[in-house]
Amino acid sequence: MTVKSLDSEKCTGCGICVACCPMDVLRLDEETGKAFVAYPKDCVACWGCESFCPVGAIDVSPERGRGRMVSAY
Amino acid sequence: MKNIDKLGTVITTDVLVLGAGGSGMCAALKAKESPVDVLVLDKCGTGYCGQVPIGGGILAYVHPEHVGEWAERVTVQSGYFNNQDWTYAFGGDMHPTLMELASLGLTFLEKDGEIDILNWGPGIYVTLFDAPKSLVALKKTAKDRGVRMMDKIYAIDLLKRDGRVVGAVGLGLVDGKTYIFNAKATIIATGGCGYLHEKTYASCLGEGPAMGYRAGAQLVNAEFGSGYVWGTEVLGKELFGIHFYLYLENERGEKIMGKYYPELMTGTHSVYTFDPRVIDAMQKEVKAGLGPIYLNLKGLSLEEIAGLAEDQDTELTHLMANDNLRLLTDKAGIDPSKERIEMTPKYLYSGGGLRIDTACRTTLEGLWAAGSAGSNSWSGGGGGQGGLGVASAAVTGFRAGGSAGKYAASNKRYDVDATQAKRALDRVLAPMGRKGSVDTADVTYRVHEAVVPMKYNRQREAGRMKEALGIINDARGKLAEVGATDYHDLARYHSAESMAMAAEFTYRAALMREESRAAHFREDFPEKDDKNWFKWITIERKNGEPGLATLPVPLKDYRLQP
Repeated sequence: MTVKSLDSEKCTGCGICVACCPMDVLRLDEETGKAFVAYPKDCVACWGCESFCPVGAIDVSPERGRGRMVSAY
Repeated sequence: MKNIDKLGTVITTDVLVLGAGGSGMCAALKAKESPVDVLVLDKCGTGYCGQVPIGGGILAYVHPEHVGEWAERVTVQSGYFNNQDWTYAFGGDMHPTLMELASLGLTFLEKDGEIDILNWGPGIYVTLFDAPKSLVALKKTAKDRGVRMMDKIYAIDLLKRDGRVVGAVGLGLVDGKTYIFNAKATIIATGGCGYLHEKTYASCLGEGPAMGYRAGAQLVNAEFGSGYVWGTEVLGKELFGIHFYLYLENERGEKIMGKYYPELMTGTHSVYTFDPRVIDAMQKEVKAGLGPIYLNLKGLSLEEIAGLAEDQDTELTHLMANDNLRLLTDKAGIDPSKERIEMTPKYLYSGGGLRIDTACRTTLEGLWAAGSAGSNSWSGGGGGQGGLGVASAAVTGFRAGGSAGKYAASNKRYDVDATQAKRALDRVLAPMGRKGSVDTADVTYRVHEAVVPMKYNRQREAGRMKEALGIINDARGKLAEVGATDYHDLARYHSAESMAMAAEFTYRAALMREESRAAHFREDFPEKDDKNWFKWITIERKNGEPGLATLPVPLKDYRLQP
């Protein structure tokens, strides 16, 4: 999983991370209204959520979600 | 629309825009200038989706007085292979587009109270804008003007009646609902296919061109326009920075660009990560046994390194995701001022898209395309520079929206045919509940094995391309073993299918074009062949199979003659 941490204390439930995630990895919890990692395996570590999060609640690690890249050479 | 409610939630509008990125938002805003209802959908969320907010914030610019000169340069560079009607339209629209974007709320770099136009090399002009906030600004304006927006809707197939497009079916990713949209005019603005090999533009996975193809619209230029960018493997993305090319070296520490492109080493140039000359030099060095290739910024201060990017301006906001220094230091644990960094090529973008005329109409009635989902041959392989992606998104978005809005205002509505909607949904929903034995990520990886290696896609040759098509066929076979338990999984399935389709079209068109031209290079046909190949290749569905045909470049109708 490449979203290393999502701090629910900091999260305000603004939904920006859900909106910017190109892979539909993040969702808002219906009960708490806060963001959570719903589909961790699909994260490609684009850093959109960490970049856009207005309160710095998300830390994404650099690893690619799924193994090594196919080499172009 | 009898019985249609049983199939899903039916939503009616006049102009349906699929995709709320730069092109989709421009299309929606322009369509709304006609007296029509406009609805824009996105699989992500309005304000934060597509390529523009995470791009470099660069907009290509041509001064109105220089349009003719610019169009002539593009035309000559392309060997007259471009669609000159589009080249002139594009060049002529650049200035009004910039002004319109500013009036819609985008923040541009300013100097003395005017938008600052920067000269980034011979004949290359750009301006910079606040990319991360750009779509939020357009969203606000769109909301004020009554454009309707729906987030987290994954549109995946078009609906037709009597040969014309009358809407689309979509999956509610969050609410789990199936949607049927009925519209008088539909605009595909979902981007091209980015393939997920390079992860900067992970949202564009080819769904739009794929759905247009399935509905019967023509694609064009699938063999052109794809390419490689370069960056660190650990970050898995390109490194933005127009002067980094000067610091590329081989294993021995020899600078590589001057060896092959000495002209780039004198004067001022902007060499973007898309520039094929860098990939060319990298590949030649690696082939000569002098790899790997490194970016060596040792000895430079972090401030100097930041200065090499040049598209980073303190007046505008920048995403951490595009800040090379922060990514390298904070995420990859690399200090670029102390260690050299290995660079790897990454494949980005399929070629071509839905064929569009200067009003962005596709070959299907009721269907328009904007942004990189469409292909208009404006460049013909000439005129490459940074900032064209955003300029093209805005120009085609405005043109598509204007044309579709007027069409919707003056044409009657055609209802959705329930039988056809059911057939479309049966196809879309087929993997649901199927017990899957393969993960979609494995299908994507298999597609990468066909499109990424340069032996298939950069030095093209008939035998090897057939091998690549075999790999794509194998990926398709794997796809048949993918199941879905919810609409998130189902969307991943359809994205993988769209990627496989984009890859197949690229190779089919590249196999047909038995010559070399622009970035399409055939080892077995290394020369440009104007006698036989002064034509564009189109792809259109015939009897369930991709039918390829050619369209001569209508040079005699154009302004500039060789």
